[in-house]
Amino acid sequence: MQKLVIIGAGMASGRAIEHLLEAAPGAFDITLFNAEPRGNYNRIMLSPVLSGEKTYEEIVTHDADWYEANGVTCRFGEKVVEVDRARKVVVGEKGEVPYDQLIFATGSNAFIIPMPGHDLPGVVTFRDLEDTGAMIEAAGKPGSRAVVIGGGLLGLEAAAALRLRGMDVTVLHIATHLMERQLDPAAGYLLKKDLERRGINVILEAQSKEIVGNGRAEQVNLADGTELPCDIVVMAVGIRPAVSLAQECGLACGRAIEVDAQMRTSDPSVFALGECVEFEGNLFGLVAPLYDQAKVLAATLTGGEATFAMRELSTKLKVTGCDLFSAGDFAEGEGREDIVFRDPARGVYKRLVIENDTLVGAVMYGDTADGNWFFGLIKDGEDISDIRETLIFGPGFLGGDTADPLSAVAALPPEAEICGCNGVCKGDIVAAIDGGATDLGALRATTKASASCGTCTGLVEQVLAVTLGDGFQMPTAQPICGCCDLTHEDVRRLIKSQELKSQEAVWQELGWKTLNGCHVCRPAVNYYLLADWPIEYQDDPQSRFVNERNHANIQKDGTYSVMPRMWGGMTDAAELRAIADAAEKYGAAVKVTGGQRIDLLGITKEDLPHIWRDLNEAGMVSGHAYSKGLRTVKTCVGSDWCRFGTQDSTGLGIKLEKLLWGSWTPHKVKLGVSGCPRNCAEATCKDVGIVCVDSGYQISVAGAAGMEVKETEPLATVKTEDEVLEWTVAFIQLYREGAKYLDRPYKWVAKVGLNWIVEHLSDADTRRALNARFELSQSVYRTDPWAAEVAKSERYTPLADLTLEAAE
Amino acid sequence: MMDVAIEEKTRTFIQVSEIWVPDGDTLIHGGGSYGDLGAFEAASVRESFALGEGLPGKAWAEGSPVVLKEFDGSYFKRTEVATEAGLTAAVAIPVFDGKTLMAVLVVLCGDDDEHVGAIEVWEETDKLLMLKDGYYGAAKHFEWVSRHTHFPIGQGLPGGVWSSDTPMLFRDLGAGYRFIRADSAGKAGLTTGLGLPVPVPDGATFVLTLLSARGTPIARRFEIWDARRQKVGKAGGAVLVDGVCERNGPLWTDENISAPRTAARNQGNIGKVLATGLPVIVSGTPKFTEGYDTMVALPIYGDGDIAHIVAWYV
Repeated sequence: MQKLVIIGAGMASGRAIEHLLEAAPGAFDITLFNAEPRGNYNRIMLSPVLSGEKTYEEIVTHDADWYEANGVTCRFGEKVVEVDRARKVVVGEKGEVPYDQLIFATGSNAFIIPMPGHDLPGVVTFRDLEDTGAMIEAAGKPGSRAVVIGGGLLGLEAAAALRLRGMDVTVLHIATHLMERQLDPAAGYLLKKDLERRGINVILEAQSKEIVGNGRAEQVNLADGTELPCDIVVMAVGIRPAVSLAQECGLACGRAIEVDAQMRTSDPSVFALGECVEFEGNLFGLVAPLYDQAKVLAATLTGGEATFAMRELSTKLKVTGCDLFSAGDFAEGEGREDIVFRDPARGVYKRLVIENDTLVGAVMYGDTADGNWFFGLIKDGEDISDIRETLIFGPGFLGGDTADPLSAVAALPPEAEICGCNGVCKGDIVAAIDGGATDLGALRATTKASASCGTCTGLVEQVLAVTLGDGFQMPTAQPICGCCDLTHEDVRRLIKSQELKSQEAVWQELGWKTLNGCHVCRPAVNYYLLADWPIEYQDDPQSRFVNERNHANIQKDGTYSVMPRMWGGMTDAAELRAIADAAEKYGAAVKVTGGQRIDLLGITKEDLPHIWRDLNEAGMVSGHAYSKGLRTVKTCVGSDWCRFGTQDSTGLGIKLEKLLWGSWTPHKVKLGVSGCPRNCAEATCKDVGIVCVDSGYQISVAGAAGMEVKETEPLATVKTEDEVLEWTVAFIQLYREGAKYLDRPYKWVAKVGLNWIVEHLSDADTRRALNARFELSQSVYRTDPWAAEVAKSERYTPLADLTLEAAE
Repeated sequence: MMDVAIEEKTRTFIQVSEIWVPDGDTLIHGGGSYGDLGAFEAASVRESFALGEGLPGKAWAEGSPVVLKEFDGSYFKRTEVATEAGLTAAVAIPVFDGKTLMAVLVVLCGDDDEHVGAIEVWEETDKLLMLKDGYYGAAKHFEWVSRHTHFPIGQGLPGGVWSSDTPMLFRDLGAGYRFIRADSAGKAGLTTGLGLPVPVPDGATFVLTLLSARGTPIARRFEIWDARRQKVGKAGGAVLVDGVCERNGPLWTDENISAPRTAARNQGNIGKVLATGLPVIVSGTPKFTEGYDTMVALPIYGDGDIAHIVAWYV
């Protein structure tokens, strides 16, 4: 473990320790010196502590307990007297500590103008909690008065806070307008007016001459003879990096400790960060670059690669009700142009400075809503020539009015149905949220809302957002693809609810951003349309994957495999003879598949219609080995032949396959029927598996035997073959109507829950309705595509539609 | 989502909060929180007020907040049921969007001897904020001090709200503020102070303060949301700019470290205020109210739209 010593427990070192502990827990034995007798607090929030709008406890970021819990040895209240780099030890008031690596985070000291009386009691700076306490104490006397020297960020925050504390406050500023580093004169004027409205006296171009008093500060005298009686003088005229310790130990220092872009000083074992460093001639006073430095230093110490770089900074003033923002460079200069917006009635002033078609500076007073947007343009150096005319009005002008996506759900009465599948209304969901179901999973478990087809998931999430506010984080919706902003579920729901029956209708009504979709969304939309509107919508081959388009699986050498259907895995001598002839004729390799079929491999694309025709003539049709649809029904020989067979598994398999073949589904579907629990057809790893038993049939679903292996889960036990057919079709139709495209049944079941499926299908009317809808669809799709393709090839050669990108 | 731990029954300074909304020429009941004062609730939901009638009607007619500390013989319409419920005083806060009354929020208190807290209405007179009236419960010394105090612009909670035209939340009212009112506030046990401007049609300056004591809090959680266009931009919504919570501690965020909480229209209770433009009172469903029993959210209008929303939870 390396010995790391840090001098200074401020905001920069606090953040650096956090990063170190995160990146390399246990790698460092850290000792932290701090002259202040406490840990780290958010120093930039001292102003609201001074005003009474925050407490000290609220701004503590790392207290002694935090350091202790993280194994940091604290030497708080102990000054470092010396750093002996030769021996690599830090010498504190109470003893020395050796180091392997040392970090200077000594920060800065407030600058005190060395005018007469500057050292009188009652003259304070505004750097730490002690200063804040002294000012609060001074404000305790009724009618007390404060003079703040310095009209910069810190001085003005102190002035406003002391005014809230009940003091009469005068601000003295040497320049011609307030905050001249961050504001231009126009914004400085508005700020002065605002402060004066708060009862603060502001004197510009003030030459402070002396502080006088009998044993303590009682009056500030200006060069022009003005006398300002006071009880306290606050010096807020700037900071000076605290570098004496570094200088004494011989580190290279300019105005501060010089560091490279890895925060390393002139000694490779010594690092520095925060207000005590100088990087490429720059000093630091705002917190944002300090946090950058902390990140870089932690990376450097843990062997990572990071480089500190200067970046643009923005400024805000922490005075309640005072809206001010400035960023970048707004000095006037040749080649620079201004865009200015003023609204005197609202006290709004905005100025943008443009150079070479980029925004280089922004000053805003009274309306800072777009500050961060302008700041981003400045940082990115974006070319603004196209938006120059309206730039000053901000991004809202460019985008038009924003939508209110929650309004429709918010307006729904409690009795409005949200989940049609399970009949769950808005009031039920709200009650469940109140009962503790504060996320989607819990709501599904308690109300079953969105626990079935899932298409109302978005609506349920909106009810959560309306009810819980930002206590519920809307998940980032994953759109189907870049062509649209909608999820698969949304598209499915809208195709049904808006009765969209063509691709053009989907593109138009659902706001597709592309002409015809893309290879990702088109197959999905094509499937959703044909599944929901089997009669009205015509399948679009151009929206299918290449194998589905060619009705054969393309192989690595560019040839295709052709697999005729063998109902239930049964074949006969004539079929085998035809297959053998075809294999010989077209030079195919022959493979028996895991699904009890015979695959002919190595067929050229040109030969496909010919081999299909030959197989058709022998009575065989496509085995759909390429489709997102029914693939195979694998069976064992069953009670006809097997000594253990309890039912006619082969016959049942054939019936199932003849019922289901040709149907399109979200992904491929495979079935198995075993004649007894010995399960020779391996039915219990199929999408639907039937195991015959003496008393009937056990139907189970949602198995998998691919990348993922999963046993099926029981759906129902029935007594007759007809019931098997009805339940199986009902399950597959439910899957067809509800699942996301390319979700296998086991994935869909995991999403909606088997319980819901069982409950749903247990209703006979529901099963019948699903069977009817399936049959309607099959009236279109229970056909042999090979035959159709053969007929087509004999009629004409189609021209390709070049506007459509092929789906792959 | 926060863990919800229902507090033991809290003795609260405010016992009833209710909203009255204009419906033609009358104000009708628009929701409320009545705790276990069922009879008073039943009487209230049936009630309506014409302009100038009863306490809500008076706040509407006068165009300013009204404090009423004696029901008997007053214009208060529900005196009998209120007295039976132990309620002894009420404050009506009108919510105006320009010259249009959007709603009147009425809060009712009772049992003076046990309850410490303060609801004050400060009014500008001769460039000073003077106490128009206030209800203090048992904080009699603090009441006396307050009646003899005035605030110049920019000073103290009322003067700060006045000068910034913004709600403000002061911590540790008794500590640190050494002037007399603060000293007395400390002795009275007052901890947190919420001050808010009450815009009225004639442009007069009113500041309402809610000063909460530990034993009988006005609220255990306060929030200030900024919804001004100049803060949130054209996208609208509101951003949480300050807040304290007994359970969750400070609710503000340092923008250098993390983004503040926001609420879009219709998103949660604050979103409901944004969408409807009306105060919202939610009670009895702690999951919806940050784990507390009751939340009151009050919009403050400016420049023709909601400028801020203050919310308190108990």
